[in-house]
Amino acid sequence: MDVLFNQLFSGLSMASILLVIALGLAIIYGSMGVINLAHGEFVMLGAYATWAMQTYFGFSILVALPFVFLAVALVGWIIELVIVRRLYRRPLDTILATWGIGIILQQAVRLGIGAESRFVKGPGILDGNVVIGNVVMSNYRIFVILFSIGVLAATWALMTKTEFGMKLRAVIQNRGISECYGIEASRVYSLTFAYGAGLAGIAGALITPLYSTIPTMGTSLVVDAFLVVIVGGLGSLIGAAAAAVMIGEVTAVFSMVMNDTLGRIAVLGCIILLIRFRPRGLFPETVRR
Amino acid sequence: MAQLQIQNLHVEFGGLRAVDNLDLTVEEGEILCLLGPNGAGKSTTLDLICGKTQPTGGSIRFQGTELSGLLEYERARCGIGRKFQVPSVYKELTVAENLSVAQSRHPGMWRALFTFGRGDTATQRRVLERVGLAEKAGVKAGNLSHGETQWLEIAMLLTQDSQLILMDEPTAGMTIQETEKTADLFRQLRGSHTLIIVEHDMSFVRRVADRIVVMNRGAKLAEGSVEEIENNAAVKTAYLGH
Amino acid sequence: MTRKLSYDLLAYAAFAAVIFWLVPTLYAYDGFELNTFARYLSLAIVAMALALSWGTAGLLNLGQAATFGIGSYAMAMHLKLRASDGLPDFMGWNNVDTLPWLWVPFESLTFTLLAGLLLPAAVGGIIAIFMFRARIAGVFVAVITLAFLVAFQLLVIEQQGLTGGQNGLTGLAPLNLFGWSVDTYSVGFYYLVAACLMAALTIGIYVSHSKFGLILRAIREDAERTRFFGYNVSSFETMVFCISAALAGWAGMLYTLVLEFASPTYMSVSFSLAIVIWVAVGGRESVIAAAIGAIIVNALEGRLSDVFVEGWNLMLGVTFVLVVIFMPRGLFGLVTYLAGAGSRLRQSRQDSPKTSAPIGSAPHAQGGR
Repeated sequence: MDVLFNQLFSGLSMASILLVIALGLAIIYGSMGVINLAHGEFVMLGAYATWAMQTYFGFSILVALPFVFLAVALVGWIIELVIVRRLYRRPLDTILATWGIGIILQQAVRLGIGAESRFVKGPGILDGNVVIGNVVMSNYRIFVILFSIGVLAATWALMTKTEFGMKLRAVIQNRGISECYGIEASRVYSLTFAYGAGLAGIAGALITPLYSTIPTMGTSLVVDAFLVVIVGGLGSLIGAAAAAVMIGEVTAVFSMVMNDTLGRIAVLGCIILLIRFRPRGLFPETVRR
Repeated sequence: MAQLQIQNLHVEFGGLRAVDNLDLTVEEGEILCLLGPNGAGKSTTLDLICGKTQPTGGSIRFQGTELSGLLEYERARCGIGRKFQVPSVYKELTVAENLSVAQSRHPGMWRALFTFGRGDTATQRRVLERVGLAEKAGVKAGNLSHGETQWLEIAMLLTQDSQLILMDEPTAGMTIQETEKTADLFRQLRGSHTLIIVEHDMSFVRRVADRIVVMNRGAKLAEGSVEEIENNAAVKTAYLGH
Repeated sequence: MTRKLSYDLLAYAAFAAVIFWLVPTLYAYDGFELNTFARYLSLAIVAMALALSWGTAGLLNLGQAATFGIGSYAMAMHLKLRASDGLPDFMGWNNVDTLPWLWVPFESLTFTLLAGLLLPAAVGGIIAIFMFRARIAGVFVAVITLAFLVAFQLLVIEQQGLTGGQNGLTGLAPLNLFGWSVDTYSVGFYYLVAACLMAALTIGIYVSHSKFGLILRAIREDAERTRFFGYNVSSFETMVFCISAALAGWAGMLYTLVLEFASPTYMSVSFSLAIVIWVAVGGRESVIAAAIGAIIVNALEGRLSDVFVEGWNLMLGVTFVLVVIFMPRGLFGLVTYLAGAGSRLRQSRQDSPKTSAPIGSAPHAQGGR
């Protein structure tokens, strides 16, 4: 039983990182229909930015977080401006172009920093564990879970409570009409893409003490994050959150019952079935279009 | 027995009854016009007949076959053709290729796999001449004007040669001359084909309709000949309010 | 249409001349060099297979590598059995002491050749029925096929005793093709692969000019409308997936012969996306263009990756992004555009309105298809 709880807890911390990655993807896909396969590389950039700040400036992860967010958001902003902007009317082509961008970022890091894995220390104040009975929960993982919930809440507030969110939702519904009312759609898109990239950067920073940082780390993460977005229902924040927790936990349980690989295969199988029978996700919008 | 029998048909979209206990019979070879204010359920009725929308209840029988439960392509194979409100032709295909797709007497996959080339070009040519597009056979449909696109779609329906053709506002966006030409063409089809037409243009309806059914709020409000409908008090109320 | 078919046949003939005559001549009938080129040709087959489903029907299959892998493992299993005395060596290391039932029929070459085509077709068909009955389309096709590929590769790696796991199947015997012991470094082998590619292209051109291909293009544009003409859209989509998967399996068998091993990396996400890249570079609308795209990218990779070991992938990424943005229809689009520009120029010189009859001018005005 304790094994199960420990497994569920570590599943939850992975799920919360997955959630932050998926949130960025969901926002980018939901608002501009861009399938961003470079998102995993944004996570990787976030991880390397954290490593660089710790190595050269001695920043702890907690201090580095806002800088990482800004740095990766800037990269995302530039990429949107130079490349993605030209592909808004061709959703399948965005898959290809962003895959190309992913290759470029991955190789650039490999050439610039090297292919060997890098390690980042967890923040000192979060060393130690909370122990309840036989369940051991590391402080850092608890922090990751809480922080992810915070990111989800902040994103939700940004989308629903701010003028930017209102403009974004207007552009999603009808770009042409929104522009007639003076909303600069292309600016809204740039900022949205940058925000999504920034979230990926945060996820990359959070993941560094748990994972080794290597140039290819993004590839497997992006597939998972994508499945989260699709399962959750495109553009739905709550759906993405639910799907992330579900996928994280189901993976954890399956991995315990079978083994890691078979667990992952089983989860992928379940996801394929889910997409097949609920192609609009767990929580589809009930608007008649 | 009537060719098409609709009994007790209803459909709901999230609480809204778009079609509410509709009864309708259509005889073989007649031209029936569906009239009614916006939101009366005319297009939805066509959607229900051709299978684009599934009914919540009721029955649709075409030549004795119950249609509910059949998929769109199965209904098309029963002999039901459909023209949509927004002209839907294949913009990336040429005019001739569009007709070749429409030539669907044998729509099986294996048959298509073992058919090389463009099919019966003589028939295609004849249909194109009839609608005045013979010169444009090699043009991509996306490069046609709006009126030509409408004609192409009508040509596709003629090629498909369904016994029952459902038309949603076939004259929308046409000039007066084109509308007249369409009316003539439809009258030539009378007898050999059954047509159900949703149309707002009363002068067009007067020219082609054998019978009119007026719908309001998803149900049949009145039915009869053109004069009967024009003198019907309930119809006037529905259109003009109280 | 006759014009377009004649263009395709012309390109087909020119392409045949290049790979049957020009390439062997350029390499001075050197078996080693031709082996390298045979590798490109087998990859060209899997690229043209993808062009069939993606370019014609608009179904982006990101799991193409899975069916390619099945073909390559089918061939490798046969050759492994030929090379082994009884049980293949890796099975012993994994404590497998009897030949698994899945391996038994691969003793037979005929079975292997059939399985290399039919197993991928069956797998592709099952996935297709599963998706297309539910009218899954567009991006969802890409995501489901991608998820399937990831799961499939994991399964192959995990089943070590059956597949050799991460190492794949190595130490294979040469193929004995009905009495001919195939030397993969011979000119004869190169011609075998080239003939296979031409046969695959023949199938591809036939399919795209058949009524079946026309309906696929109609489905790509508007599946809904096509149903109202009585076409069972899902059966067309399933069939093109089966054909494409069978061709991919065929390519996989040849690839195993060329490289003399089978590896789970043939089923990786990056390999699958690489296939997509080749097709995009060549042009998804034409099977020949897709094949040429695969040959060009791989030949460049072969030359340049020696010079710029790490930089090569960077260049590939940049090229790919540029192609997607500026040449969305690939080299094929560029060629048809230039041809169109050329004939527009000729027409304006002639300056006679009568010559610009609609039928003649149409393919140029839109730049081809």
